[in-house]
Amino acid sequence: MSLTEARPKESLRGASRKSAARHHGPGPRQGTRRIPWLYLAPAMIVLLIMTIAPAIYIFYTSFRNASILGGAGRFVGFTNYETALTDPATQQSFLATLLFVAGVVILEMILGLALAIPLAQQTWSNKLASALMLLPFAVTPAVAAMVFKQLLNPNYGWFSYYMNQLGFPPNLDLLGNPAGAWAVLIVLDMWQWTPFVALILMAGLQSQPLEPREAAMVDGANKWQIFRNITLPGMVPFIAIALVLRTIQAFKTFDSFKIVTNGGPGNSTEIINLGIHRIGLQSFNIGLACASAVLLLVVLLLLVPAMQRVIGRRADPEEQ
Amino acid sequence: MATTYSNANRPGLGTKIGKGFMWVWLILGLVPLVFMFITSIKPEGIANATPPRWFFTPTFDNFANVLAGGQGTSQGFGRLLLNSAVVSLGATALTILLAVPAAYALSMRSFAARQKISGWILSTYMFPPIVAVIPIFVFAGQLELMDTFAVLIIPYAAFNLPVAIWILRSTIVQIPFEIQEAAMVDGANHWGTLRQVIWPLLVPSVATVSVLTIVLTWNEFLFALSLTRSGAKTAPVGLQEFTGMFGTDWGSITAAATLVVVPILILTIVLRQKMVSGLTFGAVK
Repeated sequence: MSLTEARPKESLRGASRKSAARHHGPGPRQGTRRIPWLYLAPAMIVLLIMTIAPAIYIFYTSFRNASILGGAGRFVGFTNYETALTDPATQQSFLATLLFVAGVVILEMILGLALAIPLAQQTWSNKLASALMLLPFAVTPAVAAMVFKQLLNPNYGWFSYYMNQLGFPPNLDLLGNPAGAWAVLIVLDMWQWTPFVALILMAGLQSQPLEPREAAMVDGANKWQIFRNITLPGMVPFIAIALVLRTIQAFKTFDSFKIVTNGGPGNSTEIINLGIHRIGLQSFNIGLACASAVLLLVVLLLLVPAMQRVIGRRADPEEQ
Repeated sequence: MATTYSNANRPGLGTKIGKGFMWVWLILGLVPLVFMFITSIKPEGIANATPPRWFFTPTFDNFANVLAGGQGTSQGFGRLLLNSAVVSLGATALTILLAVPAAYALSMRSFAARQKISGWILSTYMFPPIVAVIPIFVFAGQLELMDTFAVLIIPYAAFNLPVAIWILRSTIVQIPFEIQEAAMVDGANHWGTLRQVIWPLLVPSVATVSVLTIVLTWNEFLFALSLTRSGAKTAPVGLQEFTGMFGTDWGSITAAATLVVVPILILTIVLRQKMVSGLTFGAVK
């Protein structure tokens, strides 16, 4: 399996740089060619052990009926994949994961933009605002999840008490039904991550040049036209960065689901990360868990080209 | 930059609504933190009283209780915080140790594969931890590394390497090449150049990477939950067991939560300018 995505070469610039390197680079000493690999080796070894090696292991194990207790098990062909793909609970896990990722990413992008626009004005109060903005984002996710759970406690929580004051029935238990539990998990994710999107988009808005907007204003364009036709197109790279990073991060969500609902009520909020954890590390059906993990990895591999394009090219100092 | 984004001479209705929305969001967003802090300083017995009590004599008893490991705790929370600190600082040191030479190699112009390898390193960011946790669980068991600091420190370093290497590499590339060249001409080898020329200029970026890694590893939950039992258990995992242990003693639970969050909040506020830039691999300045 290859995680590598070859970068399209920028022929002219790349070529001239290469020849430049030949002239100005450090002189051709003995073993010079090995030196970069030597410096790179420790980091590469750790990365390979923690990414490629596990990927190979889960791929291998996904074809076996392995359990922690029964050792490596025997070869069972595609049985685990069949189970993973036909089992209604696993199907629901995958669907729930995709819907959750799509839902929170879209909501966070829209709200992030809505927050970034007022935040981008450089005023004294916005310095305070951007500091406050960062607070939820820094809170340990496991702590945030636990605090949300207490706030929503039907007997003692602030939420049920103050909702009751507003006329809702007493002892409101949001986490007791699937719709309420989903709403809580989505709001928790938005609370934690919308600020991250907002701060990326704010940086984007602040980097837009002033002149085109002034020119459009002189020409009589209204605010919406200026935003729609000048600001928004300039914002595309920043929107893309936020979109790609948030999508990848949302696929990794685990803590909040584990702590707030642990997949419940029933298995209504069991996203695939929770499913893999339960099947593999609680039921010890490693083979089946690995089959699901392979499927998840395939989905995430599809995001690699987007990440290379959007972040790789922009963050790469040699491309600027 | 002296320009403001909105160059309207009078704030329109839309602008006012936007600003209003922003402040409502910020204030509502503070509610969980306010709840956590206020409950942690409430005296015994009123922490989960309904209606919520807003006026009381603040006390630090809950913090003392939690740190001492009173009321049926097997371990004081102080021990868990210490474990978290060891894992976090250990992973950060390892990340820096691995990332600095790697970033240097990836900045060498004579190294033809540098772009491809940088791209591959970036792509490992998408690798979901849940996929790594099962193999690591199995192998840690076989190597008898379960519940040790190492079994957390090494994966944590690995998962923070992509960001670390990209940030450091970007800094090294921006150092004028003539400076490196001059050192080479004076007879320094690569190691000497890295130590004497590049390292001093790299220190601010190393600081950024360190704080970022400390925050992310301190906050980690999945690996700590799956790979530790008691010896290396970290604070975020221990905190979840409090809910069972202390029942509805919210004072102790929120005091412990506050102890976990406060160091991280302080670091984040200190680093706030660099935080977003770091987490986007430097793509957003």
